Amino acid sequence: MMQIFTRALIAGVVALSTSVSAQALDIGVQVPTTGSEATYGQDMINAVQLAINEINADGGLLGEQLAIVTGDTACDPQQSVNAASRLVSAGVVGVVGGYCSGATLPTMQIYGDANVPFVIAAANSTQLIPENPGNAFMINSTGADQAAKAVEFLEGQGVETLAIVNQGDAYSQDLADLTAEAWEEAGHTVAATETVNKGEQDYSAVVTNIRSANPDAVFWTAYYADGGLLIRQLRQAGYQGEIAVGDGSNSPQLFDIAGQAAEGVFAFSNPTAQFLPEAASFIEDYEAEFGGAPGPYAPLAYDGMKLLAQAIEEAGSTDADAIVAALASVDGFEGLAGPISFTEENTLARSNFIVLEGQGGAWTRADD
Amino acid sequence: MTTFDVVLQQIVNGLVLGSFYALVALGYTMIFGVIKLLNFAHGDLYMVGGFVGFLALSAISSVVGAGWGGVAIAMFMSMIAVGCLGVVIERVAYHPMLRAPRLSILITALAVSLVLQNTVLALTHGQYTAFRSDFGFGGINLGNLFITYNQMILIGIAALLMIALELFVSRTQYGRAMRAVAIDKDMCQLMGINVSAVIAITFLIGSALAAAAGTMAGAYYGSVWYFMGFLIGLKAFTAAVIGGIGSIPGAMLGGLILGLLEAFGTQLPGVGSEWKDVFSFAILILVLVLKPTGLLGKSEQERM
Amino acid sequence: MPDAKPALPDHGLGPFLQDARVRWVACLIALAVLIAAPLIFGPYGIVILTNALLYVVLCLGLNIVVGYAGLLDLGYAAFFAVGAYTIGVLTVQFGFNFWVAFPFAILAAILAGVIIGGPTLRLRSDYLAIVTLGFGEIVRFSARNLEVTGRASGLSGIQDPWLFGWHINSSIDYYYVFVFLAALAVLASFRLANSRLGRAWLYVRHDEDAAEAMGINRVKVKLAAYVIGAIFGAIGGAFFATNLGAISPESFSFEQSVLVLMAVILGGMGKIPGVILGAFIIILGPELLRDLGEFRLLVFAVGLLLIMLFRPSGIWPARRA
Repeated sequence: MMQIFTRALIAGVVALSTSVSAQALDIGVQVPTTGSEATYGQDMINAVQLAINEINADGGLLGEQLAIVTGDTACDPQQSVNAASRLVSAGVVGVVGGYCSGATLPTMQIYGDANVPFVIAAANSTQLIPENPGNAFMINSTGADQAAKAVEFLEGQGVETLAIVNQGDAYSQDLADLTAEAWEEAGHTVAATETVNKGEQDYSAVVTNIRSANPDAVFWTAYYADGGLLIRQLRQAGYQGEIAVGDGSNSPQLFDIAGQAAEGVFAFSNPTAQFLPEAASFIEDYEAEFGGAPGPYAPLAYDGMKLLAQAIEEAGSTDADAIVAALASVDGFEGLAGPISFTEENTLARSNFIVLEGQGGAWTRADD
Repeated sequence: MTTFDVVLQQIVNGLVLGSFYALVALGYTMIFGVIKLLNFAHGDLYMVGGFVGFLALSAISSVVGAGWGGVAIAMFMSMIAVGCLGVVIERVAYHPMLRAPRLSILITALAVSLVLQNTVLALTHGQYTAFRSDFGFGGINLGNLFITYNQMILIGIAALLMIALELFVSRTQYGRAMRAVAIDKDMCQLMGINVSAVIAITFLIGSALAAAAGTMAGAYYGSVWYFMGFLIGLKAFTAAVIGGIGSIPGAMLGGLILGLLEAFGTQLPGVGSEWKDVFSFAILILVLVLKPTGLLGKSEQERM
Repeated sequence: MPDAKPALPDHGLGPFLQDARVRWVACLIALAVLIAAPLIFGPYGIVILTNALLYVVLCLGLNIVVGYAGLLDLGYAAFFAVGAYTIGVLTVQFGFNFWVAFPFAILAAILAGVIIGGPTLRLRSDYLAIVTLGFGEIVRFSARNLEVTGRASGLSGIQDPWLFGWHINSSIDYYYVFVFLAALAVLASFRLANSRLGRAWLYVRHDEDAAEAMGINRVKVKLAAYVIGAIFGAIGGAFFATNLGAISPESFSFEQSVLVLMAVILGGMGKIPGVILGAFIIILGPELLRDLGEFRLLVFAVGLLLIMLFRPSGIWPARRA
């Protein structure tokens, strides 16, 4: 114990005092590896590692091997600023990652000031767009796209009145607001908007409130753990309408927590590996390497790394401006999750959302 | 649902939630009573209780099933284990600090809380663990009002534990000693009361109650998580203070009041789920300004 | 980290530092090291040190409430939030210049100090703890729910201020700003401790009734502690907001309040070097342990526990009269 402690402390002091150390080409991965979102973060690191292994096996980039430097954000703004500064200090060529929108937001300025290309693989709040200094590229569709998909699909299900529940964080509140706006614009009624706190466990008061408003559908915009509890409690209390969840809840673990209650729940989701025709070999490789199935954001993290690598290749150097220019001019890059091109605002040019439905304790496609 | 149904349903919701708050608040209040410590690690004992209950249930469910019978046995095992953990924590972390400045021991409690949380974080990698119990969704339908059997059993167990505690404290010799120690520790020492043992028993009971709540919460809500003790610890502390810290009936009353406040805050127009915590805290502050000792607390001189 | 010398009051470096001249020299050396630090540490080191210095300001502010006046405060992040959000709202939503908004941040902090302090100061410390905690949560939830504070996403695009032609924008600029603020906070804390007010706090802390009998208006004196502590917090918050450029409710949680309190008591409340040391440990500890991954907070917590067990009055405690 003492030895680990001392070693870590020494490593820490060294990290604190060395300025730049770029021998190989270092790629930064900014994701949470502690805290409640740690699973997603580790999964994204694995996917990036897989992409890097493939690139290195092909002789690397610009004649050099790639290596990962991780920055743990713990989904906290202050911690993510520290992590981003550490990545910048380590002299990374570019950064892939960005999971929680709230924790990604303040790091954009840091990468902007340091002129480091940043491929945002998961975070998708529309609040990120105006903060982009120009070097960040969002390869996940934004909350606005998801809201549009939700409205389109729920309309198709004959839903008229909708209750929206968020968790009071940047990501889920943004999605809730956007959906509420789009829903009312489409001429329907928002029956209730509710905010719960993460880790609260008991949502019975909110459930009663929803039941008294009696909407045709309930839309949960936050993460799977609390979403699972809410779904369970809604069904236990006898709520009969449709339930839909956002892309933060597309984890298979939703079924562990909600159990039977998750049957028939719809999820709006970024394309996960199991539903991507191109990703069959990716799933195989991932399982061989890490001994488990890739999680919901693995394909996007993999795409992000491959995209960054192509941009570096095209730039022909580690010059940030050239890499950013190469990223901006990407046109139909073939990723696992479909072709990537960017809008003027550096967001994905098309919506990539699909709809899933819970059946027999797993997700199936509902929109084919 | 008519307004009347909604009110009744929210009362049920508030009572269930309040039972959890009350069980955890009891431990807070008892420990505060004997050593004047705000035990910030108490919420984490609730969390550990949830995990131990989960492990116990996994071990025995093949024999006794995972219905309420199995959960009750798991809960009992968890109460014993976490009760002992509470005593160990008291011996290792708080006992050497009893003569130190009062705020130092508070920080020790915070450090213990961090240790417990992060130990479980490291062991579970921060994952939510599904707590599988075979509870039906059955219940009684009274018009639009719906009360599940689970809710009734849960409130029943909580009430039973609280009555047992009240009897223990008011009728037994140890209970009397506990009350005496709460009033004047040094005098008790002189009177030949084993103060050390009384403190240990207080931690044993307080921690066991938190473990009971943790196991029941795990079984009732269906999952346990390393951070689940944080919010309830905060709420239980609030409940204990509303009732009057140091007072056992006060903790029960405070827990139920806070549960009801939150349920009705969520329902009230102009408050809603978004503002319900602001609403509860505002009422808390109002209560303390009007009645500075809490609802059932006694006033007392103190030194920092 | 010039303040990290584990000196004790009655042996080791303790008596050595009692000499006023030596103390001045020590302060000057510390300041010189801080000023030269950007030459030694990389950009990441500077960000972390800036963070630690922000904590020095916050901890010294809370130290006035807890250490000097003996009032438990579990909602100090609220004052920090009031400073940050006043700057954020006035500059982003109403287009104020930073320096025009700055006095409003101080005013808002004073107001917050009076609101929280006024009606509650007659409470016992445990009740005071929960009231301050509740106040902290009310501030955070309000920031999360109100349109003007940007709700959960918070406010972004907070402009960096200019000071006499100096555009404070790089991390090194902010580092020096916080060196200055921390030095100011240390100086203010020293002056306050030795002032009439400081002695009044000491009286009230040791025996409220006797202090009252001596003609000290205890409510006024306690209120002064809250207000001054709040001002420290708000100044820290104001520059925190412009430094990050974006603020959101997550930064002002109960954990933040607890962390600041922990630093104050860990170092040794009431004693300025102790509080500074505590701030550095709380910030640098988890950062230095980053390579431990998910174990880092566990190792940190065990360390904290051991420190408290072996030095129950803090690492560098105030001498008790």
